[in-house]
Amino acid sequence: MSKKFLHAVLLLLPAAQAQDARQIVAESQKRAQSQSQQYEGTLEVIGSANKVSIKHWIFDRFGSFGSSKAILRFAAPPEVKGVALLIVNHPDRASDQWMWIPSLERDRRVSVQDRSTRFFGTDFSFEDLEERDVNQFDYRLLGEETVDGQPCWKIESKPKESKSSQYTSVVLVIRQDIYLAIQIENYTKDKLIRRIHYSDIQQSDSIWTGRTVEVFDATRNSRTVLKLEKLRYNIPLKDADFTIEALRRG
Amino acid sequence: MANAPLARALLPLLLSTCAAQDFQQRGFLETSATIYPQAAPNDSGHIIGESLLRYEASYKVRPWLRLSGAIDASFDTHHQVERSLHLDWQDRSLRRPALSAREFKVTISRGKFTAELGKQFIRWGKADILNPTDRFAPKDFLTVTDAGFLPITAARLIYDTGADSLDLVWQPRFTPSRTPLLNERWTVLPDSITGIPLRDLGSEFPGRSSFGARWNHIGAGYEFSASFFDGFNSLPLFRGSSSGSAESVDVQRFYPALRLYGADAAIPLHWFTVKTEAAYYTSPDKQQDEYVIYVIQFERQIKELSIVAGYAGDAVTSHTPTLQFSPELGFARAILAHAQYTIDSNRSVAMDLAVRQNGQGSWLRSTYSQTFGQHWRATIGVAWIRGDPADFLGQYHRNSYGILAVRYSF
Repeated sequence: MSKKFLHAVLLLLPAAQAQDARQIVAESQKRAQSQSQQYEGTLEVIGSANKVSIKHWIFDRFGSFGSSKAILRFAAPPEVKGVALLIVNHPDRASDQWMWIPSLERDRRVSVQDRSTRFFGTDFSFEDLEERDVNQFDYRLLGEETVDGQPCWKIESKPKESKSSQYTSVVLVIRQDIYLAIQIENYTKDKLIRRIHYSDIQQSDSIWTGRTVEVFDATRNSRTVLKLEKLRYNIPLKDADFTIEALRRG
Repeated sequence: MANAPLARALLPLLLSTCAAQDFQQRGFLETSATIYPQAAPNDSGHIIGESLLRYEASYKVRPWLRLSGAIDASFDTHHQVERSLHLDWQDRSLRRPALSAREFKVTISRGKFTAELGKQFIRWGKADILNPTDRFAPKDFLTVTDAGFLPITAARLIYDTGADSLDLVWQPRFTPSRTPLLNERWTVLPDSITGIPLRDLGSEFPGRSSFGARWNHIGAGYEFSASFFDGFNSLPLFRGSSSGSAESVDVQRFYPALRLYGADAAIPLHWFTVKTEAAYYTSPDKQQDEYVIYVIQFERQIKELSIVAGYAGDAVTSHTPTLQFSPELGFARAILAHAQYTIDSNRSVAMDLAVRQNGQGSWLRSTYSQTFGQHWRATIGVAWIRGDPADFLGQYHRNSYGILAVRYSF
C-alpha cells in the first residue's frame, strides 16, 4: 500500500464514519416514522429524597419529526387534570408551544428561550419533548458496545449551528438488530445532564418502541419513569385536532 | 343472526365503557382564611373565612359534540356570599351567589369550525399582566387585587385553520363585573360622604346585546390578533343622588356603551418573549372617558424561575366627568410583574408586583405553595399595599393581608 493511498484513506475515514453514523440515525428515524401516535403515559417522578409523585398524561401526535404536531393532556393528579400542551414542530426553527390552563380559561404561549426548563415537575425538559430531526445534527460514530445484552452502535451527535439546544452533545445508543435508540445521554460541555433510557422494547403496529422511558436528571439526582400504555401508531388523527382551538376545547 | 342476543346484551356494557372514556370530571374544595391586620373606616372585620366547592364535568356525546357543565358552591363569614340557596345563572347579583352555574355549554366541532353555545368563559388577549382586549371577561372584584373571572351567556363561532383563526361572539344578555360592596373595605368612600348612610339602589342593566370579532394569525416567529367589540363596559359608572330626607345618598350602577378596537402580539426573541396588547376604548353614548390602554411585557424562563414583567400605560383622548370603578385604568401607568420559582414537583413560591409610575401606589403579594400527596395543596401568602389615598392602589393601603388556603382537588 503506497504512502499516498494510506494518506488518502486516513483523510476520507472521518467523512466515511460521519456518513455511516448519519445513515444509522437516518435509518433509525425512518423505522420509527409514523403518521400519528397515541398513548397514555404514567409518570413516576422520583426525587432525590426518593419522594415519589405520580402523574398521568394522554399524548397524541400527528405528522412526524420536523413537522409534527402533538398535544399532551394531563389526566392526573387532580390538581393538573385538564392542563394541556400543544407543540408545533418546525424543521427549520424551534417549536411553537402553547399551554392550556383550565383555571385561567385561556391558552398561553410558552416562551421557549430556555428549553432546559423542566416540564411540569418531571425530569423531562421542554426540549426533550420535541422530536429530533436527523438533519439538524452532525454525527460521529464512537464505536460499538453491548448495552442491555444487545449489540449497539454508539453515536455522538452535535447540534448544527442553526439548531439551538441546551445540550452541546448527545450520545445515542442504537440497537443494531432493530435500529432503535435505547439510550440517549445529553451533555453540556462534557457534563452529563440527562440520561434517557428505553426498556420494555416491544413492537406496536410494526414499530419497535421502548414502552418504559427512564429519564435521569444528573444535576438534580432525580428520575422520572414514563410507562407508555395503550400505544397505537398510524391512527386516523386530523390536522384540525392540533390547533389552539382544539387545545382549548379538549 | 345467532349472536344477536349476545350483541344486545353486550351493547349496554360497551356503551357504558365508551361513556366512561368520554366522561371527564374534576373539581376542588378550597377553604381559606384572610387576615386583615388593619380595620377600614367602613369595615371593622379582621378575619374572613371562605369556602368554595367547584365541580366541573364534560361528556363527549359524539366525536363532534361535547356537553360541559360546572357549578360553584360558596360560603363565607363576611356576607360577601348570598345566603339563599337558589342556583344562580345570571351572575348579576351584588353579592357572590351561594350556588352558581359556572359553565353550561354545548360545543360542536366540525373540521375547522367550532361553535359554542351557552354559559362559558371567553378570554381574549396575549399578555399576562393586564388584558385590555379581554372584553367578554367580566370579573368578580369583591377583593380588588384578587379578582376571578365570571362566565357569560353567549354564542361563539370559531374558524381555525391552524395559522389563522376567526372568532365571532354574540352575547345576548349582559353580565356585569361584580364591584366591591359599599359596606366593605374594598370600597373606599370619599371623606366628603363619610358618616352619611349610603342606599344601594342596585344596577341598571343595558338591554341590547354585545358583539365581538377577533382574528388571530400565527406566523413564523410571531403571532398577532386584531379585535373589535361593540357592547357595554362590564365595569360600572355610579349615579349618586340625595334621597328625600337628604340624610342618606342613593347610589346606582349603570353600564355605558363601549366600542373597542384592539390588537395584541407575541414575538419570541432569542433572550425573551415580547407580548404586547393595546385597546382603544370609545364611548358611543359619550357617558365615559375614551382612552387607550396598552401593555408591553417581557417573559423569560430561566431553569425553574419564570419571570413576566412589563409596563401598562394609558392615554385618555376624551374626558367625561363621571364616577367610575375602573381597575383597568387603576392598574395602568404602572410596572407590573409576576415571578414564580418551582422548588420541586411539590413546592413553589410566587410573587406579584404592581408599582404605579408616580410612586403613589404599590402592591406586592408573595405566596408559598406545597402539595401533599395527590390531592392536597396548602398555600400561605401575604399581600402588602401602600400608597396615597388619592391613588387607585394607594387607597387600599389599609387592606394589606395574610392568607392561608387549603385545597383538596379531586
